[in-house]
Amino acid sequence: MSLFKKITGLALWLLPISILAGLVVLWELWVKLADVPKWQLPAPSAVAVELVSSKALLWKHTLVTLEEIAVGFAAALAAGLLLAAGIAYSRVLERSVYPIVIASQTVPVVAIAPLLLIWVGYGLAPKIIIVALICFYPIAVNTVDGLKAVDPDMLNMVRAMGASRWQVFTKLQVPTALPFMFSGIKIGISVSVIAAIIGEWVGASEGLGYLITYSQPLFLTARVFAAIFVLSIMGISLFVLAVAAERMMMPWHFNVKRSKSMNQL
Amino acid sequence: MPNLKNPGPNSHPGSKIRMDSIDKSFTIGGKREPVLAGVDLAVDGGEFVSIIGPSGCGKSTLMNILAGLDQPDSGNVSLNGGDGGHHQPRLGQVGYMQQKDLLLPWRTVLDNTILGLELNGVSRRKARKQALELTESFGLKGFEYLYPFALSGGMRQRAAFLRTMLLGHEIILLDEPFGALDALTRIQMQEWLLSLWDSMNSTIVLITHDVDEAILLSDRVYVLSSRPGTVKMVLEVDLPRPRHYDMVTSPGFGVLKSRLMEPLRSQIQMVKPAEKPAGNVP
Repeated sequence: MSLFKKITGLALWLLPISILAGLVVLWELWVKLADVPKWQLPAPSAVAVELVSSKALLWKHTLVTLEEIAVGFAAALAAGLLLAAGIAYSRVLERSVYPIVIASQTVPVVAIAPLLLIWVGYGLAPKIIIVALICFYPIAVNTVDGLKAVDPDMLNMVRAMGASRWQVFTKLQVPTALPFMFSGIKIGISVSVIAAIIGEWVGASEGLGYLITYSQPLFLTARVFAAIFVLSIMGISLFVLAVAAERMMMPWHFNVKRSKSMNQL
Repeated sequence: MPNLKNPGPNSHPGSKIRMDSIDKSFTIGGKREPVLAGVDLAVDGGEFVSIIGPSGCGKSTLMNILAGLDQPDSGNVSLNGGDGGHHQPRLGQVGYMQQKDLLLPWRTVLDNTILGLELNGVSRRKARKQALELTESFGLKGFEYLYPFALSGGMRQRAAFLRTMLLGHEIILLDEPFGALDALTRIQMQEWLLSLWDSMNSTIVLITHDVDEAILLSDRVYVLSSRPGTVKMVLEVDLPRPRHYDMVTSPGFGVLKSRLMEPLRSQIQMVKPAEKPAGNVP
């Protein structure tokens, strides 16, 4: 049974992996057969060689971008959860601050990114702010929705048990909001990599986004692809990390989907 | 039998629960709709009383008022022999169990049962210990550490029962606790509740649609009219205790049932399709 499960699990992964592998092979063949110049489109094998030969350089810039994402995302998470809690707890905040939060999303962050350079300088700060600004919104909005998604019958139940407002918040609203919050976190973490790159494109002296803008005019196209590859891996890893945290914090949420209940026996 | 923390005998004179000429209306679709009109109810300590009536007659509103979730527009409610002053707090004074089990999906069965104790400041450790002593008589032994989704409907309902009982309130309100269960499970649960109730001295008010259930379990049955709800009839059930499900087919039971059905049947005829309320009154 478990062996069978393992095999079907593997088969499920095999399909997308083989499609991807097929595309890479086609790409390699196309470059080789059509004799595409390396500065225009490097073959996957050339990108792989670049990954190995420039690994110290790539690693150095990866750490910088990761730091921007980690700090920016942490700030977005803290601010997003705090504001969501405030909005869900206080009518005044909901009426006054929430519309501004929603309206703020219409301001294109890419447009204010150059201004940030003027305001806070050239270093890590503007990138961190851009990551935080972009990740903040999905986390805050989803968490607000979650905190308000409490089942009214459950609310009545705990109120009839004599629950205080704070107990309603901690025992009912927060657990109800967790799945929503993680949806926000997953969206946020997916766009965080893009946010960091935007920040670096506007003006930077290190980071993978900088490496791309620096290598492109030099026609180091293989290096551009290597950096893109690392960024994809980074994005996927961060997402997997978020999913792992989600599973750890909400075991009930996933068991429901997986196992049979006694009613179905 | 379960070792429920039994409250002492009623120290106050008078009824455990009193409702005097309760009026309540809601605004439904922009129209003021009376839901309860002059409802009187009196339950003594240790009594088991059922309330039966057509859908939308305001039974649940009545329960919400008793539990303190709603306030009546006029009239008096007093619990535990209090003076029933308009602001006598009732939240947290009674055990209230609704038709849906309302188990929190993120808590294990055991941690669901201790929710009320936790809200009232009992430490988790102590509350768990207290609950574990009772899981066997509530048919939950071996399932304490599962999440609620893994349980059958009857078990979930018993877990919700244990959550209500652990609070140790003398007054227990049950709003169609067996309504969502299949017929066989419902009979099992009724017998189980009978044996449980025999072993404690709670005062229970049960809302039900089920005439058999009302007679089998109760000392007294209140029949409410359709909306606005008023008390149409009060039926004393003089069947001997302890009771068991076999009694349902006894002649005495049949007599009581036909007396109870009479006002209910006239209610049913009154509701023409056109007059049927569009939505349920909360």
